[in-house]
Amino acid sequence: MGVEARRELPVLGHEKDGSPGFLLGKLDELVNWARYGSLWPLPFGTACCAIEFMALASSDRDLARFGMERQAWSPRQADVLICAGRVTYKMAPVLRRVWDQMPQPKWAISMGACASSGGVFDVYSMVQGIDTIIPVDVYVPGCPPRPEGLMYAILMLQEKIKGESLRNKALRHEDPAKVGRPNLPAEVIDEIAQPFGNSTAQNRVSGLVSTKALARPQDRIS
Amino acid sequence: MGKDFEGALEGLESGPAPSDAGAEATRGAEADPSSHPSVAALREVFGGAILHHEVQAGDEHVVFVAPDRCKEILRWLRDAPDHRYDLLLDVTAVDFGGGRPLQLVYQLRSIPHKRNLRVKVELPLDALEADSVVDVWPAANWLERETYDMFGIRFRGHPDLRRILMPENYAEGYPLRKDFPLRGRFSRAEQTRRALMLDMESDYAPHELAVAKRVAEREAAASNTQAGGA
Repeated sequence: MGVEARRELPVLGHEKDGSPGFLLGKLDELVNWARYGSLWPLPFGTACCAIEFMALASSDRDLARFGMERQAWSPRQADVLICAGRVTYKMAPVLRRVWDQMPQPKWAISMGACASSGGVFDVYSMVQGIDTIIPVDVYVPGCPPRPEGLMYAILMLQEKIKGESLRNKALRHEDPAKVGRPNLPAEVIDEIAQPFGNSTAQNRVSGLVSTKALARPQDRIS
Repeated sequence: MGKDFEGALEGLESGPAPSDAGAEATRGAEADPSSHPSVAALREVFGGAILHHEVQAGDEHVVFVAPDRCKEILRWLRDAPDHRYDLLLDVTAVDFGGGRPLQLVYQLRSIPHKRNLRVKVELPLDALEADSVVDVWPAANWLERETYDMFGIRFRGHPDLRRILMPENYAEGYPLRKDFPLRGRFSRAEQTRRALMLDMESDYAPHELAVAKRVAEREAAASNTQAGGA
C-alpha cells in the first residue's frame, strides 16, 4: 500500500459516504457506552406510577444493575427524567423548569397512561400528555406499568443512546427561546388532545359552551 | 353481549342527562326538632333565622339557616356551653344546577358533647357571598379558599382569599359549578400556554414571600461578613 493509498484511509474524519471513520466511530461508541451505562434518573413521581418506580429501584428488581445506582434528586445532576404519574396544568411549569434545569445530554421517559396521554383524566385540570410540555424519548404504556415495563423502557432508552452520534448536533441542541414554552405547536397540542373513545360522550353536555380560546379573546394573555 | 349490557349502552350516544332534567327539590322533609338537642336550642334562640331542619341518611342532621345571620349562628354554636362545636370539619358547597341556589355547607363536630351538625346556607346564583368564619375557626381559612376556588363564593372578611387548587392565573371560571364544561373553556393549546406562563411565586402568600426575602437578605449579609473576615 503506497503513501497515496494510505491517505485515502478514513482514520480521523468521516468516510466519503458520511459515516464516521474508525476513530470517530470508536469515540461515539465509547461516549455512548459511558452514557448509557451510567444514566442517573430523576424520578418526577406524582402518582401511583411512582410506587412502581420505587419497586423497580428497590432490591427485588434492582435498577442499579443498569447503571442507575444513584438517583439524582437534583435536576442539575440528572440524565434521564422519569415522569411517573399524572401531571396537572399547575404542575406543568414545574415539570418544564425541571427539564430546563437538566444539563445535556438528557432524556425523558413518560411512564404510564396519564403522563403519556392524560389517561382517563380528560378534564380541565390535566395535561394531555407531557410531550406537549417536554420532549419525550420513550413512552411506557400501562396503568400503572409493572416495574418490568419501566425496566424495558430503560433498556429501550439505552438502545436509543447506543445509536447516537456526536456528529449529530441536532440531537443535543437546545433552543434558549424554547425555555419555559410548550414543546409542541398549538395546533398539534389541540390535535393530539382531541377527545376519543368514551370520553366523546362526555362532551355532549358541556358542548353547549365553546371550548375554543378564540371564543373568549378577552381572556387571552398576549 | 348480555341483554343487561345492551340496555346499559343505550343513551351512550346522547351522553349523560343534563343535571337539571328533573328539578327535584333540594330539601327533604322537615324533621322533628327535638331529635337533636342543638337544633331545638337553635330554634329557641334564633327563631325565624332557622329556616329548615331535616335528617339525612338516618342520623345526619342538617339545618338551613338565613345567610345574613349565618356567622352569628355558627359563632353561637361554637361558644354555647351546652353545644360547643369546637371542630370545623369541612366547608364546601353543592351546586344542583338548573339555576337553583348553591348550598354552602358547614360540617361541625362537638368534641365535648360527641355531636355532629351540618349547617347549610342557600345562596342565590347572583349573590354568591358569605361572611368568612376564619375568626371563629382558623381551620376555615383554606376550606373557604377551596370553596371560593371551586364555586366562586366570595367570603367577606377572609384574610387571604386566593385560589388554592387552581393556578393563580386561571381564568376559565369555577370548575365545580354545574355549568362548567368538563374540559374547561379554553382549547388545550391555550390551557398549556397559560399553564407554562404561570409565575410560580404566585403560589405563595405575600407574607410567605416576605419570609423568603428576609432569609435571603440574612444569608447575603452572612456571606458578606464571611468574605470580609477572610
